[in-house]
Amino acid sequence: MGAIPPAEQGRPGARCRPRARRRGARRPAVTLAALLLLAAALAWGRTRPGPAVEPHVRAIFPAARTVAPRAGVWHAWNADGVTLGWAAPGRAGGYGGPLALVVGVDTLGRIAGARVVEQRETPTFWRLARIPERLEGLAGASLEEVGRGDRGLAAVSGATLSTRAVERSVRDAVTLVAGEQFDLRLPAPPRPFEFGLLEVTVLALFAAGLAAGRLRAPARRRLRWAAQLTGLVVLGFWKDSPITLAKLAGLFSGFLPDVRTGLAVWLLLAGFLVTSALRDRNLYCLYACPFGAAQRVVGLVGIRRVRVPPSAARLLEATRDIIVLGLLLAALVTLQPALAVYEPFAPLFSLRGETFQWVLLSVVLVASLAIPAPWCAFLCPMRTIERGIGDLRRAVRQRAVRRRAVRRRRRRGGVPAAAGGSLAATAPAPHRDAGRPPPRRPGETPC
Amino acid sequence: MQIFASGGFWFLEGILFVVVVLAFRAWMHDRGVPLPAWKWAVFLLWLGFAAFTIAFVGTSFGEGEPTAATRGGLLFGTAAVIGGAAAWRLLMRGREPGGRHTAG
Repeated sequence: MGAIPPAEQGRPGARCRPRARRRGARRPAVTLAALLLLAAALAWGRTRPGPAVEPHVRAIFPAARTVAPRAGVWHAWNADGVTLGWAAPGRAGGYGGPLALVVGVDTLGRIAGARVVEQRETPTFWRLARIPERLEGLAGASLEEVGRGDRGLAAVSGATLSTRAVERSVRDAVTLVAGEQFDLRLPAPPRPFEFGLLEVTVLALFAAGLAAGRLRAPARRRLRWAAQLTGLVVLGFWKDSPITLAKLAGLFSGFLPDVRTGLAVWLLLAGFLVTSALRDRNLYCLYACPFGAAQRVVGLVGIRRVRVPPSAARLLEATRDIIVLGLLLAALVTLQPALAVYEPFAPLFSLRGETFQWVLLSVVLVASLAIPAPWCAFLCPMRTIERGIGDLRRAVRQRAVRRRAVRRRRRRGGVPAAAGGSLAATAPAPHRDAGRPPPRRPGETPC
Repeated sequence: MQIFASGGFWFLEGILFVVVVLAFRAWMHDRGVPLPAWKWAVFLLWLGFAAFTIAFVGTSFGEGEPTAATRGGLLFGTAAVIGGAAAWRLLMRGREPGGRHTAG
């Protein structure tokens, strides 16, 4: 493999074709190795012990001499052995990963205090949600009041996932103490299935992507513009809910929001992953991504197109792949999906974010004037995921083609049974995907 | 930083703006680009926005708000660059193919 046949020598492209083929053959193995690495990171992250609860229980009951857990509920006693109260932990998935807190209840059935044990929200969301201040406001509330949700823990717009996680954690903790110590069954809060304009829009955008495949080029272009502008307005500026690497890391580590309240996130991720597995280009990037649409709109006023040299494009793509793998590993080892946030979406769609995101946003938007969709081509983590899935799909398909060829030859009697077991000894039947390099050259715009 | 509060600073700034506007007019004239009123409006709007961006960054730093200066500068600066590209396309409409390169 890799040797240039004499007949091919001297012909244009004779040197690069085998190299491209070698690279293409190596990529599924690299993807598989990366997947194994990620699985190991997740296993390691899952087995690491969580933070200690005891110091927080002691902080809630400062007069306690002894605290100890019994049947999931912490008991606090003073020096005379008198019970001061009970505390229970609560845990739910926030935006950046698990959010755990402990809620203390005194012997009169009133909240003695609540403290955050563990949180992995991004600093921006944490500041916006003002969780510590709102937990302080719970002090003195009765169990029934908390159970009914009367004590100001409603979701904060812009930090919905974080505040809902806190609300759920508090309710779980209080329900546990109420059931164990007061023999009180708090009514389960109503959790309606949220299906609104956002979910409808997501479904419509994917449907548009599917329908576009049956249209002629001009109509397809118009439909794509309409879908992308809708995505820009609804998924971008209105709801600020594009797919991010943090959401994917949350999916892999099991910290996605409840499907009842966060159905749109599930639909987007499912649409992205399924269409990545079935097609060369996934439908999310082509028809729904609001940031891709923003770059396209900026590109409309571009003055001169600049072509990125293939070597530079390859370097950028390799750098991106390494960064994405590193961030995913860090997010899974620490079980902190928010660590994987590096996209400049938040500054554009909600004017929030860290300074490096603002810088990245400026660079990408200005570059969009000269390079078509530079973020999608060189920096977007979804491209890495999509290519990884595509490599695996192509490898599986090639393998199936080879197996079919072997079976066909055996049936025709072309390959003796003794020699027919080896796939390498059999020339693969030609297939549109067999030996095909990846569908897009580096530097080519995906849009 | 008393210079920014002095009348001399604003006098110099006024001169600078007049020079920029005159240079723009001469430059467009040399390239044979017609300058109707709406093009003047587009140019002045863009110039005002660019000046606002610089002023925002300067005053934010001056008031000890480096974060606001950085983020505002990036946001408005990016908008100014993109707006500049859009304005350029508008301003170059109706350009005569040869132009009159008669500078000097």
